Amino acid sequence: MSGTNRVLAILLGVLAVLVLAVGGLSAVLLLSGGEDAGGGGSSGITTGGAGGSGTKGGRAAQGQLRLPSSDPVTLDPHLAGDALSAEYIVEIFSGLVTINPKLEIVPDLAESFDVSPDGKQYTFKLRGDIFFHSGRPVTAQDFKWSFERAASPELASPLAISYLGDIIGTRERFFGIAKNIKGLEVVDDKTLRFTLDAPKPYFLAKLTYPTAFVVDRQQVEANPRNWTRQPNGTGPYRLREWRLGERIVLTANDRYHLGAPKLKEVLYLLAGGSALTRFENGELDVAPISVNDIDRARDPNSALNKLYSTWTDFSIFYIAFNTKVPPFDDVNVRRAFAMAIDRKKIAQVTFNNMVLPATGILPPELPGFTKNDKTYSFDPGRARTALKQSKYGDRLPPVVLTEVGGGAQAGIDTQAFVEQWKTELGVTVEIRQTDFATFLADQDAGRLQMFNGGWIMDYPDPEDILDLKFHSDSRLNDVKYSNSALDRLLDQARTERDVEKRLRLYQQAEELIIKDAAWIPLYFPQRHIVVASRVKGWFDPPMVIPRLRFVEVVR
Amino acid sequence: MTGYIIRRLFWLPIILLAVSFLSFAIARFGPGDPVAVAAGQFRDPEVLARVRAERGLDASLPEQYWRWLTGAVRGDFGESFLQRGFTVSELIFPKMWVSAQLGFVALVIVFGLGIPLGLIAAKLNGTWLDPLIVSVLLFFRAIPVLVLIPPLLWLFALKLRWLPVGGWDGLFDVYWIGGVIAIPIPDPHVYLPLLAFTIGGFAGVARLVRFTALEVTREDYIRTARAKGLPEGTVMMRHILPNSLLPVVTVIGFALAGIIEGAFFVETLLGIPGIGRFLFEAVRSRDYDTIMAATVIFAGVFVIMNLLVEITYSFIDPRVRLGASR
Repeated sequence: MSGTNRVLAILLGVLAVLVLAVGGLSAVLLLSGGEDAGGGGSSGITTGGAGGSGTKGGRAAQGQLRLPSSDPVTLDPHLAGDALSAEYIVEIFSGLVTINPKLEIVPDLAESFDVSPDGKQYTFKLRGDIFFHSGRPVTAQDFKWSFERAASPELASPLAISYLGDIIGTRERFFGIAKNIKGLEVVDDKTLRFTLDAPKPYFLAKLTYPTAFVVDRQQVEANPRNWTRQPNGTGPYRLREWRLGERIVLTANDRYHLGAPKLKEVLYLLAGGSALTRFENGELDVAPISVNDIDRARDPNSALNKLYSTWTDFSIFYIAFNTKVPPFDDVNVRRAFAMAIDRKKIAQVTFNNMVLPATGILPPELPGFTKNDKTYSFDPGRARTALKQSKYGDRLPPVVLTEVGGGAQAGIDTQAFVEQWKTELGVTVEIRQTDFATFLADQDAGRLQMFNGGWIMDYPDPEDILDLKFHSDSRLNDVKYSNSALDRLLDQARTERDVEKRLRLYQQAEELIIKDAAWIPLYFPQRHIVVASRVKGWFDPPMVIPRLRFVEVVR
Repeated sequence: MTGYIIRRLFWLPIILLAVSFLSFAIARFGPGDPVAVAAGQFRDPEVLARVRAERGLDASLPEQYWRWLTGAVRGDFGESFLQRGFTVSELIFPKMWVSAQLGFVALVIVFGLGIPLGLIAAKLNGTWLDPLIVSVLLFFRAIPVLVLIPPLLWLFALKLRWLPVGGWDGLFDVYWIGGVIAIPIPDPHVYLPLLAFTIGGFAGVARLVRFTALEVTREDYIRTARAKGLPEGTVMMRHILPNSLLPVVTVIGFALAGIIEGAFFVETLLGIPGIGRFLFEAVRSRDYDTIMAATVIFAGVFVIMNLLVEITYSFIDPRVRLGASR
């Protein structure tokens, strides 16, 4: 055996040398690359302490909040269209108006605004005490430049038209016909005037979205490609560090014009496994609860239960029918499909009641939401009758339901629906799963007969879902639904300036859409989270709004 | 041999060209495009067309390919849609580096433990210990990483609280002694991924080494060597080890090429910002330039590793002559 021992010893020696070599190499890298080499190839971005001459008044911000997250797609407010990017952006940047925790639209960088009697002109007066993080004052010219950048053909932001398109001249700017946005003028250093193509009551709501935020012209022009790595914003927090895939650190902007944040630092951990496991291990302060852990969180005897809370979300899951394609060109078939499924039971069984069965299209807390259930309830008898009344009788052409997915198995609720259509209506529905990119391509091309969809509200206004998804002129109307009575209601609501009257118009529109069963509204998703007891004032709003400055972390 | 290497290297660009063309074609002819994915809910066809034009996606396919090729030759792999404002190189190289660090250490452990273990098992062939070792190895080999990680997490992170649940903070932490001497200590985040990587791996290597060592032991020249009265250690080191290493070298070569490709499951379950997870996202989002860059780099590394393996062969086994006339 001595031979073997020697072999072993030699091999272990080699191993030791290799380990030391790796260690040495890393040590050398560490020494040469400063603190960054640990993460390897220098994607670490550390911004120096830009601006901020210390606190003025009040007590200094303190504490650190640790949140699970991922890399944002971009920190450029004018390009961001996803909720994750927006979550960082609304803390670092800001615009003329914002949404407060009560979900009211309130002035932000603007001090006040006037709307002309015809509802087409908005004049904003900027505050006197607004600064970029670098300390440079924000002027009306900064806004004009920012809006024109957001709508520029070179930036080619997919969001510009959606959010700024109501301002006269935005389309001309975007498609390269005009150099400026005609309907946007700088009256003086602190005054800005917008002219809209029609009175648009939801215009203010759109201005709360990052596309309408102000950016620092000097910084963007100096470094057009990479400026978002150390953005000079106007929001309550500054980006201190962004290491791709590892962490993002935000630090309080003590000079923030709406009141200095109480929380000093927010650490977003972008890597790491199960958030709840890390939360229980004391590595995170907030974590989402998944369906696997919900029973534990709901158990009054568990430690998690005291930290557990539920929040609504401005979003909806639905099944959409292409109303121009057989058999869903017949409203009776759509109604039959809607009445043959028991969404309440399925929400309970497959989702453990983590979602609310939808009572309509407008989600809870959204202006215009009504409590009563407006949807078709589960009624197999009426469903069968409706199917018989359809022009297809019970001889339907093949039906394919498409959903996003990559597995061999359909969504568990989809399976339940297919089962119910089979047993209650005698209709066999084939499930087709595609990846997200394919799904979008098929959806945009109108190739889908019936699909599982979702919509996340972008601003708290019913227009953002009812008009965009169902008006026959809307390019986002992917169910090809067209109803002149509905169009009239929506057209009227677009310009109606009486708030109550306008919301009533949307409620009528909602009822019409549900009655015609262009969608089967399925569920309103809910957010289930646990928050560590040292965090005070945490709230999970139904849409992305600035919130970190209201949160505190105590020892 | 030099001639052979030069000839092989001459083929490298041609192979890369073919690979890049294929991956370009597959990505472009696949359904969907990155602009629609990036646009999210607002997909106004007119606006998307404008965005495509701005990103050069409205040009003809040969033109797009040529533009990609001329950029890539200069080291410019384009810009990502997944992470706006970052070039593809800025995104993939750091992630490859993370994957490669973990992968390399895992490889060292895998082969450092696997080779001696295999030799020991071969040596013990005929005793009850050999089947025991083999079956234990088989057991480890058979556990999928997906199944392995949750209990590891439960045990080391939640129960014992020795290790963090996941994440990445570099391979080593440096401790300074008196501000002069730097001592690298493995970062606590690396143990779980290393464990997950190596448990199945070293078992595989050990089985391979055991098998080839047994084959070699039965050769006549080993019997001759023993008959000559050579000490067992010399027989092992001079004759058995080098001859049983040939297949191992192949495995090492390809494994080394594989480390930059990352490991999707380990990276996802343990939240490591490596290339495996990132590429999965890139393919899902049709992030053309990222997919192209990664495929071409992987192909290049694979070809070079393959060549290195062949060169190593000629050192280990004098019978192998590279480029000898057929």
